[in-house]
Amino acid sequence: MRRWLREQFDRYFGSDPVRLLFALGGLFFATLVVLALLYWVVGKVVTAGLEAWGWDLVRLLLGLLGVMVVVFGNALFLVWAERKVAGHMQIRIGPKEVGPYGLLQSIADSVKLLAKEIITPRFVDRPLYLLAPLLIFVPCLVAMVVIPFDARLQVRDINVGIVMILAFSSLTVLAIFMAGWGSVNKYSLIGGVRSISQSIAYEIPMLLSILPVVMMARSLSLKEVVEAQSPYWFVLVQPVAFLIYFVCAVAETNRTPFDLPEAESELVAGYHTEYSGMRFSLFFLAEYTNIFIVCALATTFFLGGYKGPVLPGVVWFFLKTYALIFVIMWFRWTFPRVRFDQLLNFSWKFLIPLAMANLLVTGGLLKL
Amino acid sequence: METTLRDFAFVLAFAVLAILFALIAVLIPRFIAPRTVGLKTESIYECGMDPFGSAWIRYAALFYLYALIFIAFDVDVLYLFPVATSYVRGGNPEEFIALLVFVLLLVLAIAYAWGKGVFRWKYEGR
Repeated sequence: MRRWLREQFDRYFGSDPVRLLFALGGLFFATLVVLALLYWVVGKVVTAGLEAWGWDLVRLLLGLLGVMVVVFGNALFLVWAERKVAGHMQIRIGPKEVGPYGLLQSIADSVKLLAKEIITPRFVDRPLYLLAPLLIFVPCLVAMVVIPFDARLQVRDINVGIVMILAFSSLTVLAIFMAGWGSVNKYSLIGGVRSISQSIAYEIPMLLSILPVVMMARSLSLKEVVEAQSPYWFVLVQPVAFLIYFVCAVAETNRTPFDLPEAESELVAGYHTEYSGMRFSLFFLAEYTNIFIVCALATTFFLGGYKGPVLPGVVWFFLKTYALIFVIMWFRWTFPRVRFDQLLNFSWKFLIPLAMANLLVTGGLLKL
Repeated sequence: METTLRDFAFVLAFAVLAILFALIAVLIPRFIAPRTVGLKTESIYECGMDPFGSAWIRYAALFYLYALIFIAFDVDVLYLFPVATSYVRGGNPEEFIALLVFVLLLVLAIAYAWGKGVFRWKYEGR
């Protein structure tokens, strides 16, 4: 390629330097014209955007930036915290070499993952296989739009926020199944099938446990749900709903008592067996972000969100969220994995009827 | 508070950013990661053995039944969200009765599946 270019160059300009001069001049003026046009178009678009959107545009850009910081900070912290908590629960120390208390371990890990080779197996279903890691990341970021980190620290307060989060979280199931089916690997397929039946089984009690909260707050906007918890948190009036929600949250994020889709000892890594390097780490990042999101939602729905004395709201919000995440990590080293029929039937035979009874009792008591 | 198109422009922007970010993250290793090609590099992983048979194996038909009751259920539960938003505290007992009837109808779906033995996980005649 390079040699061919050189030959062409010599053929046109080698004999005649003046020709080269003219060519360069023409190129220069063409660049000027294109730049001027670009400047004009971008200027028009920006002015129009500012006129139509005003401060919303600033809010959107700051929100995008802030959410990225939260997503990455959270993932880096959780990878470290998971290993540290696991270590101490097994009377080990956990990572300690990189940085103080091993705090820089996850940064070292992410640099390593960036430099890993990406392998695409030969017989994969290419569109599904390549799209899955991109798609799995969408619901994570979209859910962040409506989460209220503080009374005024929320990207956008959409008044159907709860329904939107629930709708987008179903997209995760789709991405997981695309990964499982597209990998053309037996382990991936079994992992995908398990994951989809588990997610849909636990989605219903999750919806049913959020409904009493919506009933009491009489709004689908997350901020108004938090504001409705002013004398007492909803966990005090809805303890059953909170427990159901939390169990479903653990199941939806495929964490340990319910981690059958990626059970290492039987399915290698489940639906992401065939993914390597950065593609694998996208699944990993989405998983940790999902843990953060379900715990943030539990905080918002039941634990009073950003409300709390003395300390600023953001601090309270993150304290409650990470306390819940710690409980989930604690589960991992406490409970053994359940059997698959037990897993599905626990939801259908126990959680769903319980959640429905809870819904009816709430509805009845509200009418008294 | 109205839901406007602008609300969903935020959602769209975040979704696009997510895909863009994932794309960039996947593209970076193309420039810095090593590339090796060996005999088995591109073959699928089956614990080190040579893969045999089709990977799209048959799995229990029971999963379809679970999927079916889910579809019967999920759409109906979604109808409860507008009900919950406009559920008034005190008064109007007929609202509660409507809720009761709706939920009991949903319970029938589970009871039917239960009676049909969907949750049993036993292969007959084995």
